[in-house]
Amino acid sequence: MAVGIEALQSLEAPPWLGAEGLTRCRQALGGKLVRETWKYSPLPKVTDALIDANVHQEPPDLALPPGTALHRFDKLDAPPRFGIDLNRYPLAGIVAARAGACWLIEVKRTPSRPLRLAAPGGRINAPLLVQVAPECRVDIEQEAAETADTAGFGALVLVLSLAADSEAHWATAELAPMVDQWSLLQAHLHGNAALTLNHQGAVANFRRQDINVVLDGQGARLSSVGAALICDGGRLDQQLVIEHASGGTVSRIKQHNLAAGRSRCTFNGRIHIHAGAVGADADLSNRNLALDPSAEVNTKPELEIYNDDVRCAHGATVGQLDAEALFYLLSRGLDPQQAQRLLSLGFLRDGLAGPFAERAATAFAAHFKGD
Amino acid sequence: MSLLDIDGLHASVNGEPILKDLSLRVEAGEIHAIMGPNGSGKSTLANVLAGRPGYEVTAGQVSFDGIGLAGVEPEARAQAGLFLAFQYPVEIPGVSNMEFLKAAWDSHRAAQGSQPESAVGFMKRARALAKGLGLNPEFLKRGVNEGFSGGEKKRNEILQLLLLEPKLAVLDETDSGLDIDALQTVAAGVNRFRSADNGVLLITHYQRLLNHIVPDRVHVLTEGRIVASGDKHLAEKLEAEGYAWLSG
Ligand SMILES: Nc1ncnc2c1ncn2[C@@H]1O[C@H](COP(=O)(O)OP(=O)(O)OP(=O)(O)O)[C@@H](O)[C@H]1O
Ligand SMILES: [Mg+2]
Repeated sequence: MAVGIEALQSLEAPPWLGAEGLTRCRQALGGKLVRETWKYSPLPKVTDALIDANVHQEPPDLALPPGTALHRFDKLDAPPRFGIDLNRYPLAGIVAARAGACWLIEVKRTPSRPLRLAAPGGRINAPLLVQVAPECRVDIEQEAAETADTAGFGALVLVLSLAADSEAHWATAELAPMVDQWSLLQAHLHGNAALTLNHQGAVANFRRQDINVVLDGQGARLSSVGAALICDGGRLDQQLVIEHASGGTVSRIKQHNLAAGRSRCTFNGRIHIHAGAVGADADLSNRNLALDPSAEVNTKPELEIYNDDVRCAHGATVGQLDAEALFYLLSRGLDPQQAQRLLSLGFLRDGLAGPFAERAATAFAAHFKGD
Repeated sequence: MSLLDIDGLHASVNGEPILKDLSLRVEAGEIHAIMGPNGSGKSTLANVLAGRPGYEVTAGQVSFDGIGLAGVEPEARAQAGLFLAFQYPVEIPGVSNMEFLKAAWDSHRAAQGSQPESAVGFMKRARALAKGLGLNPEFLKRGVNEGFSGGEKKRNEILQLLLLEPKLAVLDETDSGLDIDALQTVAAGVNRFRSADNGVLLITHYQRLLNHIVPDRVHVLTEGRIVASGDKHLAEKLEAEGYAWLSG
């Protein structure tokens, strides 16, 4: 039952979002900022899908380790700010309104094991806020189930708030998902906080990933290493906005995407260095391989720098397999298909890190074996 | 039948004639050194032999082990026993050295109709060879040549040579950039490889390598052709007098 943006009228905002929040979302959906970042993906279709999708209101599927506490937002006397820029991410407001609930996990002490989060699957998951106390460290692991949903639309909104000197590591592996998905990670880092991201996936469907990291405090650091294999028919659209809002902040981003068959891959990495961010240091590298002439790759480096004292490197490449490397393998007796497979796999593996790296490497290898 | 028989070879790179009427014969059991100024066409010859795309034979013939190489793909040349140690070995991040070596070895076995060797047996052999070349076996886990120093890359080429046991090894400046110990290790590797059944084409700028690997013949390549040939004493004369006397 696809009914378009008008259907949003019937949504009711939960108190912590507020009616005016929802109004802002409606306005933003038609606005220029959102239109531009949705240039390569069908926003109306996704909005419809969100309206139609099943809702999962239960607590995030977690066996919480000691040192952490789970709260329902609307049960809190003074809930924290929802903390999402609804002008930029109006879909988060829709997800919040559809879900009704919103969950908060407080990390008060460093847990002895990772937080395990269910993958979005084919449903709308209630937004989740994770607040990490000063000097604590948390690992968040999210892996799609082997028996993934085959119908529906998945949505995930995760907000990370890292207090001073805290650390978080968020790793995801979605290696055989069957459903279309939209996800948003919004992270705020205070002084000397460190965030590590490892996203790895195989995309045979439509997947849109929005990531917004605000390096808010002096010396906050982001490191992100990811790889995606976009299979025939797949559409991946990654939109990153990294904000260096304070001095001495550091960001390191490496994303390797391989588009096979008739697939489409979009990467938009925007680095925004604010006026006060003296000595900010940003390095973004996005490499793309288009294995077939029918594969489409869009990558756009965007830099906004309001400060002279920065170091900023931003590289985006789109290409075929490296001819030198190919010849090196051939000269050792590998046949061209085998050499191509090994180089493709190597390219993807070069973008793997974190707890799921090995599993992802195995899944990617299986893909190239079946070719 | 010669192991390598190059007869009146002309070759172009990107349409530019580089090799001009080059003839050379290497018999099994022989080591030939090729010397010559920068840009004279030494690497071009090596690449033409290995079948690198973009290196076009415009006239003449090359036969290897009795088979004409015209139209033979690079991988088929390798499987037939032709090996090129690159002047600039390529870095391949994300592909471990060990899996690269195993894939190369398996392709050679498959070409001979043999089953792939067990991973365990192969790894044992690779590790032992690496150790013998002064390469920490940890290097086998790293990406192919990734972050290797110049000398480590060259040792890695020799490791491949010893693993694949080709009939003809073309070594393109494998001695360049090596310290004295590495030079001796690499030379020992080549001497270990050499036998009555195989041959070596040794491209080098330095006579000192030839103190360790004694060549049967030394050739001087200038402007795409061989202008002088002799025994090891030719290399000593070049070392002392340079190349000028040859064009005089
Ligand atoms: N891809 C190419 N495109 C155009 N010219 C090339 C290419 N490769 C080689 N050449 C030219 O061919 C000539 C011979 O080069 P080659 O690399 O064979 O020399 P070399 O004898 O190996 O030199 P060195 O001692 O410096 O290694 C040079 O003039 C070089 O510039
Ligand atoms: Mg050369």
